[in-house]
Amino acid sequence: MGVLPAFRLHRPTTLAQALELVNDDRMPYAGGTELLLAMKEGLLRPTHLVDLKGIGSLRDVRESGSGVSIGALVTHTQAADHPIVVDRLAGLAAVLNRVGNPRVRATGTLAGNLCFAEPRSDVAAALIALGGEVEIASAEGRRAMAVEDFVIGPYTTALEQGELVTGILVPVQPDLRFAYLKHQTTERPTLGVAAAANSHCSLVVGAVGFAPQVFRSPSPSDLDPSAIADRVEVVPDLTGSEEYKRHLVEVYVRRAVAALGGRR
Amino acid sequence: MIGLDTVEIAPRINGRETVLEVPVRMTLAEMLRDRLGLYGVKVSCEMQVCGVCTVLVDGQPVSSCTFLAADTDGRRVLTVEGLAEGDRLHPIQQAFVDRFALQCGFCTPGFIMMTKHLLERSPLPDREEIVEHFDGNLCRCTGYAPIIEAVQDAAGRLGRRGS
Ligand SMILES: Cc1cc2nc3c(=O)[nH]c(=O)nc-3n(C[C@H](O)[C@H](O)[C@H](O)COP(=O)(O)OP(=O)(O)OC[C@H]3O[C@@H](n4cnc5c(N)ncnc54)[C@H](O)[C@@H]3O)c2cc1C
Ligand code: FES
Ligand code: FES
Repeated sequence: MGVLPAFRLHRPTTLAQALELVNDDRMPYAGGTELLLAMKEGLLRPTHLVDLKGIGSLRDVRESGSGVSIGALVTHTQAADHPIVVDRLAGLAAVLNRVGNPRVRATGTLAGNLCFAEPRSDVAAALIALGGEVEIASAEGRRAMAVEDFVIGPYTTALEQGELVTGILVPVQPDLRFAYLKHQTTERPTLGVAAAANSHCSLVVGAVGFAPQVFRSPSPSDLDPSAIADRVEVVPDLTGSEEYKRHLVEVYVRRAVAALGGRR
Repeated sequence: MIGLDTVEIAPRINGRETVLEVPVRMTLAEMLRDRLGLYGVKVSCEMQVCGVCTVLVDGQPVSSCTFLAADTDGRRVLTVEGLAEGDRLHPIQQAFVDRFALQCGFCTPGFIMMTKHLLERSPLPDREEIVEHFDGNLCRCTGYAPIIEAVQDAAGRLGRRGS
């Protein structure tokens, strides 16, 4: 068995205590489904972990204004099973029910998924299409930013030193049509296409590039699948060549457009 | 703000209250195997992918290879050793035996614990649901078909037992 490199564990019970602790070397720790793996592989060697799981205020799912706020400690399973999410954000619940495998879903959090910014994320693509925002706190105060601006590139986010994500706010738009289609042959998706439309349409191509790629149009019918497939950034890997992945993008964008009732 | 190096934890393991002092870097798999001799917990990929290390914590399946022992304080941990009653195998175990759902057996404790979780959530799963539930469990011997039959068989046995 590989052993975890040595570290020291902090267990704050309030957000204020946690904010005092975190810095570049004292990393936040939630489910550990990314962090502990990266530590075992020697890719990350934090000397301290700040366990956020003792902070009760980060566990809630609640209605907030015209949206739903999902606390930073909420796991994929808890969110997907939560009556508010099932009722108001059924499309998101369906996406979360297909993340990774049941153990990853039972332990991993949505916030941890966004903060790690692994490019092959269903969660980021879906939340961007839904217009989700990340709620951020630091000792100085709070701010919010679109998930689209938060996830900058592979393993890179807009989170600054000393900041923590406290939750994710997803707007509820009753007239919104939403579709998520993914192609997956290993434990992470090769491609995920999220599309949402009401008076305007956003389509997000996830997992094939270094970061989710967003395309906007007045309606789904205005999206051109073959033009999108030509334009997207594609990273070839063991799950497919560039040519193959571009082909997948075209097929899946066409299907997503059709799922939203667009023509093509 | 020095942080902890070791923690004292009090999990309930297979129904028994247990108090242990563990280094914070110790994984749950290491604790279960090396401290408690529960060798039904296997370790292989150490990346949450293969499922041989699956145990239930408060009824939820976790990959004990990459889960801190420290996080089980005050929680219920169930391993494959906690299923049988004396010499009587649990209906899920018996179904795996009767359906020849194992050859080398290395993956079996993981599949059995995942089955326990599935049937608690969904007592009569269809084939597709079973296959999807095993997205994170690999078996290199059986070809999966007998495992799926064993789950369906176990669902029937547990249903009858429950009614
Ligand atoms: C085998 C496997 C398969 C997977 N398959 C998929 C898939 O199909 N689709 C998909 O979308 N994802 C997939 N994932 C990713 C999974 O969703 C994430 O691992 C999980 O959600 C991360 O959450 P966590 O709580 O475990 O994060 P942790 O591992 O605890 O933390 C991850 C990172 O985020 C930081 N962090 C955590 N919480 C906060 C916070 N509140 N504020 C600031 N920083 C924070 C940590 O410091 C760390 O850098 C898979 C993962 C695995 C291991
Ligand atoms: S050893 Fe834990 S999932 Fe493979
Ligand atoms: S029985 Fe050998 S790996 Fe499954």
